[in-house]
Amino acid sequence: MSVPGWLSRFAGRGQARPEIDARSAGIAVLVVFLAPALLVYAGFTIYPVLRTFYNAFHAIKPQGVVEFVGLSNFATLLLADPIFWKAVANTSVFTIVATIVDVVGGLLLALCLFARAPLAPLLRVVWFTPVLMSYVVVGILWVWIFDYDWGLANAALRWLGLGAFEQSWLGHPSTALWSVLVAHEWKWLGFNMIVFLAALHALPSEVLGAAELDNCGWFAKLVYIIAPMLRGTIVNLLVLSFIGKMMVFDLIWIMTGGGPLWSTETVSTYVYKRAFEWNTFDLGYPSAIAVLWFVIILVFIAIMTRLLRQRERLEF
Amino acid sequence: MQWGLQQVRRAPLVLFVVLYTVVTGGPLLWVATMSLRTTAEIFKDPYGLPMPAHWEKFAEAWTKSNYGTYFWNSAIVVVIAVALVTVFGALAAHCLARYNFRGNRVVRFLILSGLVLPPQLVMLALFQILLDINLYNTLTGLILVYVATHIAMTVYILEGFFAQIPQDLFDAARMDGYSDFEIFWRVTMPIGKPAIFTTVTLNFIILWNEFLFAVVLLTDDDKRTLPLGIMHFTGSHQLDVGMVATGLMIAILPIIAIYAFFSETMIKGMTAGAVR
Repeated sequence: MSVPGWLSRFAGRGQARPEIDARSAGIAVLVVFLAPALLVYAGFTIYPVLRTFYNAFHAIKPQGVVEFVGLSNFATLLLADPIFWKAVANTSVFTIVATIVDVVGGLLLALCLFARAPLAPLLRVVWFTPVLMSYVVVGILWVWIFDYDWGLANAALRWLGLGAFEQSWLGHPSTALWSVLVAHEWKWLGFNMIVFLAALHALPSEVLGAAELDNCGWFAKLVYIIAPMLRGTIVNLLVLSFIGKMMVFDLIWIMTGGGPLWSTETVSTYVYKRAFEWNTFDLGYPSAIAVLWFVIILVFIAIMTRLLRQRERLEF
Repeated sequence: MQWGLQQVRRAPLVLFVVLYTVVTGGPLLWVATMSLRTTAEIFKDPYGLPMPAHWEKFAEAWTKSNYGTYFWNSAIVVVIAVALVTVFGALAAHCLARYNFRGNRVVRFLILSGLVLPPQLVMLALFQILLDINLYNTLTGLILVYVATHIAMTVYILEGFFAQIPQDLFDAARMDGYSDFEIFWRVTMPIGKPAIFTTVTLNFIILWNEFLFAVVLLTDDDKRTLPLGIMHFTGSHQLDVGMVATGLMIAILPIIAIYAFFSETMIKGMTAGAVR
């Protein structure tokens, strides 16, 4: 009985075609390998993306009412929606500050451990713990820390004799965004620290040794030797942090819900609110926000990688 | 002399290290103590030690406050989603890393472009789609969404690792008459175990903590996953700080328990996408 080549190769050993080419495969084999991933991915990621783009140009009302509105969602968004612009401003501040803190703070923490602080291996594990906590845990915990009456923040201030600076941290529009930012960094600094630490340990020790022989101060060593050699890692983390911060949702939603007075409203929380909390009952408008924001993120990633990419690779 | 000078120069470093350790570890220990104290005790002295320790609070949270349901929902969703995303991802990654075929680069680009997709871009449409196919407000729907949104990262990590396995092994296996599927199962999978372990850890933690898709796609109380359940409980019992803390510990403990044994694997898993 003759079995088609591709079938026999898939069905079992012993019937393989005479020529050995482990790099090629019949179409059936490819389908079996790729179909599960591609089907789920197409149905629940690619199709939703396309549908969001479609939504952005329509008004999507309940009971399946769909109405083409062209660019009017975008026009309203850009010209007549002050809350959107407030959200853009907040997200921008949050993104810029948090990304810088992520990278600079992560590098400094990594250097602490790299400089052979006592118990470094243990500290590395402890410092990483917040990364594993869910936003819900981190959010509720920090709501308590910022509590006016019995929170750790105010208690610490009182203990230091700085009682005058006591605040309702999350309740005041001027401090709320910064308070959420502190909580966010508390969770993520450990992540950046670990990545930098791995990169530091991969550096050639001869170069660092040579710098030491030349009596290079630690600051000069950091700026002129370590930072340039870590350039690839820094760019990676900048982009990664940037993407994460531009989409920040969970922590803000849990800690302030965007308030008080839109002082912590971000683009993502606004998308969620317009879709599910406002009684405008329109999925088109929030989709337009999501699409616009995604395009902006892509443009910035392209600019960042182009500007920061290493022209000539450092040889070491 | 040398010794003394070095100690002095290291003093700020040590001080900073101690301070940061207190900042990261302190709040978690605080939650741990509160989880064993009643709300009345906490309000009397927020920073006291849990004496006596109210272990029964965990039993109470588990049964009376529905945390048992939330926990099992989370466990079911996460275990099934991680299993599926690992199998689907490994199959696809093996295929992309091993075979030259037309469309290889297109498929790779399509899947890996998922790495930069913000959840906000898909969540509204997913809400509509799951409504259309009657999977809205079901754990099945959430599982499918989790698998789809985590395929990209899984394939990215696995393919990078699988591609480094020497081709000679596969040629030899083919020579011995292994079928394509046997090659995957008996060559790629055993050798790729560390990478698979990494993605399992990564996906487990991310999904165990996932909040956004769950909040959009689930509404019934008996379907809520742990993060949602805790949020819901906090919303309705804002002043019952002691009980909320117990709930937080129920969410934290499984992760801490695994972390205690597999800290290196978990650190490697969580940072796998960023460390190159």
